Amino acid sequence: MAEITAQSLAHLAKLARLHLNPEESGVLLRDLKKILDHFAELTAIPTEGVIPVAGGTDLKNVFREDVAADAPFSSEILRQAFSERRDDFLAVPPVFE
Amino acid sequence: MTTLHNLTIKKFHEGLRLKDFSALEITKAYLDHIDARDSEIGAYLSLSAKEALLQAEQADLVLARGENLAPLAGVPFGIKDAILVQGEPATSGSKILADYRAAYDATVTSKMRLSGAVFLGKTNMDEFAMGSSTENSAFKKTKNPHDTSRVPGGSSGGSAAAVAAHMALAALGSDTGGSIRQPAAFCGVVGLKPTYGAVSRYGLTAMASSLDQIGPITRTVADAGIVFRAIAGRDVKDATTADVSYSAEDFEPNFEKLRNMTFGLPDEYFIDGLATSVREAIDRVVQIYNSFGVKFKKISLPHTRYALSDYYIIMPAEVSANLARFDGLRYAPVSGVDRHSKLEELYVANRSQGFGREAKRRIILGTFVLSSGYYDAYYGKAQKVRRLIKNDFLEAFRGVDLILAPTTPTPAFKLGEKVEDPLAMYLSDVFTIPASLAGIPAISIPAALSPGDLPIAFQLMAPHFGEAKLINAGNYYEQAVSGQAI
Repeated sequence: MAEITAQSLAHLAKLARLHLNPEESGVLLRDLKKILDHFAELTAIPTEGVIPVAGGTDLKNVFREDVAADAPFSSEILRQAFSERRDDFLAVPPVFE
Repeated sequence: MTTLHNLTIKKFHEGLRLKDFSALEITKAYLDHIDARDSEIGAYLSLSAKEALLQAEQADLVLARGENLAPLAGVPFGIKDAILVQGEPATSGSKILADYRAAYDATVTSKMRLSGAVFLGKTNMDEFAMGSSTENSAFKKTKNPHDTSRVPGGSSGGSAAAVAAHMALAALGSDTGGSIRQPAAFCGVVGLKPTYGAVSRYGLTAMASSLDQIGPITRTVADAGIVFRAIAGRDVKDATTADVSYSAEDFEPNFEKLRNMTFGLPDEYFIDGLATSVREAIDRVVQIYNSFGVKFKKISLPHTRYALSDYYIIMPAEVSANLARFDGLRYAPVSGVDRHSKLEELYVANRSQGFGREAKRRIILGTFVLSSGYYDAYYGKAQKVRRLIKNDFLEAFRGVDLILAPTTPTPAFKLGEKVEDPLAMYLSDVFTIPASLAGIPAISIPAALSPGDLPIAFQLMAPHFGEAKLINAGNYYEQAVSGQAI
């Protein structure tokens, strides 16, 4: 099974948009190794031809007609939750620079 | 006036009708009791006293007009903080949502409003429902009302503790791998995890979408049935809800149906780690069911031992995807973060300061099992093993009507006991996870008190959409032991 190293942990943290301080990295590395060792037992189970369970239900193609309706939420609450606003717009840092 | 200590939803409904008390009086009594007791227990994250009193008055008005009372009219509820109640905080136990207020009602919330429920407040939980002790909440630790040096279980620990300590007549929790049943077991109350797809997840802050289900935590089995019926049903806003209708008749007590049942006892749940007190309690439960005429059969669910490992691949994978939306811009800002840095730096700062240790651990683990090169080895494999676990149950239900097992291997553990050892913490869910992976309904029911006076519980598991069977079977057990109940 795959090894998790300090280097691969740093890469995963980057992908997950998390900064880990050295202490957090150390603890996480130790825990993840233990957890992944525990998982290794799954590899021994024969699963050839087994159909994966891809969700909580076996329902397929659940469709409905589009129906116009008023938004069931309070846009005032949404606006208030935002840290910065200019008039009726929500302000975020530039996406493109 | 009836004291809160022997109130159930059923008795409350009767009392309201007979004008023994008003809904307003009872809601006030619960709010007073919260005021007196919750500083010690820590079940609630926020209260909505003003709205609760208005809702209670509504129930009294309906009655005064001589109209029929809805099943939950005036019933004071605690709501797990992951479930949205419009205008109220919904932190999910996380700093990243500390200042968020729900912009809309969850479907279960709207259904309960229609059914007349009163919302007392939002209950504490492990951050984003990740934990088995409620110690992972960013805000406070909830204590077990039976012994405040012990955990209430988790992640719906606030809901279970509130019901156990008479700070709510009933509560809603959510269960992903045991988060309704395990805290209900530790706190000596009833917890029902419905079939996956029976109750809408719209407005539930998602943890692992293929596993999450909302369900009731109540004082009695009959109450769990009443709440379940109020919240169940197909919802166009959640495409995974099933078009199944539960008839009122199915939920009527029926001794004949129970008497003719066969229960399975799975070998894999009676393992070395099972505490003697739990084993003995389960033996007594079996005797009581035997005395009703229920037949027992030993069964095997051979893939049970892989369920925990399987769950800890599937769940973090879904967690890492679901928690990607929390960037500190949407929902609410994270306090203490400089909002004028570059976008990516802002994301990283918000997430690093906003998420707690367990959330980070699961996000990283999930990112790993989904990453290129490892997907098939971990996530793909886990989805196949999940099928084998599900098939074990389907096979077993050909020969038995219900499966009986302990809910947890031990009674409630001490605060701090498992915080530093994630694997030990995960093991406390070893008996609840298989039903979650299979998507079947399961109910945890108080069985007895341990020698140290801690609650011990058993769970009954049914085939998909078999909630009525669980309620019927649980009901008779409860009646048989009432008087010696917890």
